[in-house]
Amino acid sequence: MIMDNVIAAFGHILHIKTIILMLVGVAGGLIAGAIPGFTIAMAVVLTLPFTFSMPPEQGLATMVSVLVGGLSGGLMAGILTGIPGTPSSVATTFDGFPMARKGQPGLALGLGVWSSFFGGMISAVLLVTLAPQLARVGLEFQPWDYFMLVMFALTITASLAGRHIVKGLIAGALGLLVRTVGEDEAVGMARFDFGTETLLQGFDFIAVLIGLFAFSQLLNDVRDRDAARTSLSEKGAIKAKIEHLAAIKVIAKHWVVIIRSSLIGVFTGILPGAGGSVANILAYDQAKKASKNPEKFGTGTPEGIMAPESSNNAVEGGALITMMALGIPGDVTAAVMLGALLMHDVVPSPTFIAEKPVLAYSIFIAFFLATFFMLALQSGMLRVFVLVTRVRMYMLAAVILGFCGIGVLALNNVDLDLWTLLWFGVLGFVMRHFGFPLAPMILGVVLGNIAELNLARAMAISTDLTLFLTRPWSLFFLIVGLFSAVFPWFQMARGKAKWALWYMPMACFAVTVPLGMMAVQNNSISRGVIALIVLAFGLQTLWKRHQGGWKLEAYEGRAIGE
Amino acid sequence: MERFNRDVYVAIFLLLFSGVMFWASFDIRQPDYGVLPPSTWPRVILGAFTALTFIYLVQSVKAGQDGASRKLANEPTTVMGWVRYWHNPIICFICFFGFLLLLPYLGMLIDGVLFVFALLTMLGGFDARKAAIHGAIALITVGSMWSLFTYGLNVILPEAQLFQ
Repeated sequence: MIMDNVIAAFGHILHIKTIILMLVGVAGGLIAGAIPGFTIAMAVVLTLPFTFSMPPEQGLATMVSVLVGGLSGGLMAGILTGIPGTPSSVATTFDGFPMARKGQPGLALGLGVWSSFFGGMISAVLLVTLAPQLARVGLEFQPWDYFMLVMFALTITASLAGRHIVKGLIAGALGLLVRTVGEDEAVGMARFDFGTETLLQGFDFIAVLIGLFAFSQLLNDVRDRDAARTSLSEKGAIKAKIEHLAAIKVIAKHWVVIIRSSLIGVFTGILPGAGGSVANILAYDQAKKASKNPEKFGTGTPEGIMAPESSNNAVEGGALITMMALGIPGDVTAAVMLGALLMHDVVPSPTFIAEKPVLAYSIFIAFFLATFFMLALQSGMLRVFVLVTRVRMYMLAAVILGFCGIGVLALNNVDLDLWTLLWFGVLGFVMRHFGFPLAPMILGVVLGNIAELNLARAMAISTDLTLFLTRPWSLFFLIVGLFSAVFPWFQMARGKAKWALWYMPMACFAVTVPLGMMAVQNNSISRGVIALIVLAFGLQTLWKRHQGGWKLEAYEGRAIGE
Repeated sequence: MERFNRDVYVAIFLLLFSGVMFWASFDIRQPDYGVLPPSTWPRVILGAFTALTFIYLVQSVKAGQDGASRKLANEPTTVMGWVRYWHNPIICFICFFGFLLLLPYLGMLIDGVLFVFALLTMLGGFDARKAAIHGAIALITVGSMWSLFTYGLNVILPEAQLFQ
């Protein structure tokens, strides 16, 4: 059965038109990734309108290709010019640029390209193996659990705003509110239409996404008049040849770095909201801590390039795992991918892999293939990626704004979508200016309907609201969501306030309750063991705090480990 | 008033907005069928939104002037200074607004080329050489995009009413 699906998926992906689209997608992603200020999410968002008229397999394969290309595009500019093309390549410049300046640009590029490749392959393997397993767990979810999962995804994304978590939560609520405008999906009643026909249709969420993310970003990029008129980089004439063999030899010597960083990337991707920008710094930091020569980091050490590049490419595998297994996007780009699925009338949920196996396997295969295409294209189009950084931002902004207009109109041929694009572009710009994070709002827009539908289903089954507290998975997501909401304050209070000493043990004890309930209800030994381990960890932490006399200093030594 | 930073004004605006939306939620018709009334979910969101905005307001008032959220460098305080500071985003907004107004009359191809050319010229400056470059960029990029959608993806984009 699986083989039939895999063969059918190969049939879709190995079509000549799909291959060409994937190559174009990877090249486009690489170019977009190489341009500072042009984020991967923006590239993927702008690809959406093109995929509208394609079959879902082809459209998703193209978008996956843009994504994979974009993840790797940033390293070229970062290593050769010192300007990271994307936030996911920031840590690559710490050692990539010094190595290039020391006369080894070919080796630096080789390490970056091959680390990206291995990171992508490891995450692709984990995607194929973990997503179906996680989807099996997801099959246990009932509407109460699924509703709480959406709330948890919004909370954890908002918590990434750090001390501005309240702004993140406001943005998330605003995103949910935006999706309520127009006819409601359950009974078809008009909501917030203010008596107008146009608002009755509701906002097309793709236009909202492009407005919020691409339009507002472009307005932000051209804000400075002088900077908008100068080239992003004047170093366009750099000549370098990728040293593949030397790079592979170095990677073989430090293979642990690749494995560890890729796992960090996958794990970061699985967490809703945390993307490549977090993973590359985290992996770099861990590589430095684990290195025998940490003092060499920042001077052009190979591990300093391998760690961030393998982790940022592994992130999307992780983000796709949660998106495909649970229907919850791991980051903004996965949210856009989820939007693409919705555009093709495919609603991602725990049953997605079981109900649409060919599409699911097509995404897996596209992810694998795109990683190979990325390797080949990066080697062959090096000069193009460097030259592209010479473009002036105002030119890029004007052309992309034109593309946004054509692309959004092409989706439904409705003028209102263009006005939606404009107003949400301005809203996104204003929100950025006042320090409101956009990721929670985008997640709110994408997940708003899913949350409401599951709430309606839950209420239709039973009006008993205590089920949100008595069902193990629902309680689990509620507890984790609450603790993630308090997490930014915990981080600020660490080592300063005594209540922070209680945070970790209390989190462990609280999580033990739903885990124990799951173990009892399902007669699951594995979940019982997990519950006991978490409980033991909480007790051990509490014991250590007690032994330390509840002094703040006693806590500091373990801060990183926790 | 000394304690009022810009976050306070944003919070007050958001509270007013949630008030308007709450008011509008009473216009949602309640059908006799279905367990979850259509107004419930928006009101749940608005309840959370209002509570969070109130927390934001209290935080902002407590923070005072020093605790205001990140201000950009050289951000102006006068109206003209503000217009100069935000010149480029305002230009983008006006050009896109004009593009939308003219779209039914000029069609996607002509309007798109004009929009990109106008925006390039207003953001990048005007002289003969630049005008030629901007014209070529506008024509090639919008032209190729229009062709791709029209002939490659068979999407019918708006045609010019003016020439019909």
